[in-house]
Amino acid sequence: MAVSGFEGFEKRLELHFFGDDPLLMDDNVNNSCNNNMLGLQLGLGLRRLDFDSLQQVLHAVQCTVVSAVGNHYFDSYVLSESSLFVYPTKIIIKTCGTTQLLKSVRPMVHHARRLGLSLSSVRYTRGNFIFPESQPFPHTSFQNEVVFLEDCLPPTLRFRKASVMPSSLSSHSWHVFTASADDGDAVSDDEDEAIFTVEICMTELGAASAAKFFRRPNDGQTPDSAGKEMTEITGIGNIIPRALICDYAFDPCGYSMNGVLGDRYSTIHVTPEDGYSYASFETVGSVYDDKNDLARVLKKVAQVFRPAKMSVSTTSCASPEVWKRVAAALETVGLKCRSCAADEFPAAGTVVYQTFTARRK
Amino acid sequence: MAAAEEGQVVSCHTIEAWNEQLQKGNESKKLVVVDFTASWCAPCRFISPFLADMAKRLPEVTFLKVDVDELKSVAQDWAVEAMPTFMFLKEGSIVDKVVGARREQLQQTVDKHKTSSASA
Repeated sequence: MAVSGFEGFEKRLELHFFGDDPLLMDDNVNNSCNNNMLGLQLGLGLRRLDFDSLQQVLHAVQCTVVSAVGNHYFDSYVLSESSLFVYPTKIIIKTCGTTQLLKSVRPMVHHARRLGLSLSSVRYTRGNFIFPESQPFPHTSFQNEVVFLEDCLPPTLRFRKASVMPSSLSSHSWHVFTASADDGDAVSDDEDEAIFTVEICMTELGAASAAKFFRRPNDGQTPDSAGKEMTEITGIGNIIPRALICDYAFDPCGYSMNGVLGDRYSTIHVTPEDGYSYASFETVGSVYDDKNDLARVLKKVAQVFRPAKMSVSTTSCASPEVWKRVAAALETVGLKCRSCAADEFPAAGTVVYQTFTARRK
Repeated sequence: MAAAEEGQVVSCHTIEAWNEQLQKGNESKKLVVVDFTASWCAPCRFISPFLADMAKRLPEVTFLKVDVDELKSVAQDWAVEAMPTFMFLKEGSIVDKVVGARREQLQQTVDKHKTSSASA
């Protein structure tokens, strides 16, 4: 293994806000966004954030926007090192490498405040860094991260919990910190309740799969056109077939994409270098979805990357059984479940962390 | 009239204005770039200055802007689902499409079609 290479494992932050001033939350300019059919009575919220403010937040993290797109529900950004999703009252930032993600909390809370939005809950998750010694403060240890993060939070978020969920694989464990203004479920609306998040981390990618994420020298392509080609040849385009994909290929290797489908996002990031190859996949589902949807998606993800090791974390308030579907689906594509850990967190609900390894032929 | 619009992005606020601009584009055989945008879409706001700058630099290309809430039927007819969506038209037919605020790709696609018109 290289002494130090690019850190694939991301840090992920999800911030929820609530509007304490209905006048500020109401956006008269946009009627279509306020109609009940779309369930966006709260208006534009965080989507009104101007580009300078957003760039200020991203600057603190050390990221820049490479492409962006919006639909009626949310705005999606592919960043220089990962992804950002902005919903009216929710923001999700996921960054890799040596970015300082937690430094985004203070400026984000500040800018949201100006829009009449207060922080109601926070969720920070990450896997095990491959090169922990390369991480800058506050990401030098989970303990430092938690101390730093807690310091950024208003005292109203008084229900807090930090935990490292173990696995049978030394290279994989799941770090979770959540904080909430509310103990129970009162904080989120019904729609949020039904949503679950699936975060997948894959290491030791199949050699043939990883090779597809390298650019050919002097291919004459732009990052966009090379990204589009990777989306096609790898089968990523078929994972969620109807999603609009914003893809980006890095030089000489690496890939990022955000998928947008209605109110759902999906995102993939790949660091294909041998010795520390890594890919992540993340999406959201609803308990009201067809039960087979998630299984289909997971199987395709496993087939695209063919990882030797894989961890899947599901976070859900209303559907703690989602994890069973994960294991059942992955077993059919040659991955064996090696460990399963579950824990409860304020506002986030149940987090189930499972690890899998490929059955050797 | 046409001269006054050269060098800037022309917003089409009514169906009539939209049809008129399309017709003008067809007749001139110029490359027409249509920016489907929305007031609530932050990425649209980010790319807007870049588009204005391109319009200034490239008077030989017509740049139109359609707000998808203002001209709902147009957005529907053109199957616009995410914003910004840029449609590239030549003599009335769609020759290319870029979805999302992607400066490099936008510039490259404009260059590609603007040149092919010169050689035609």
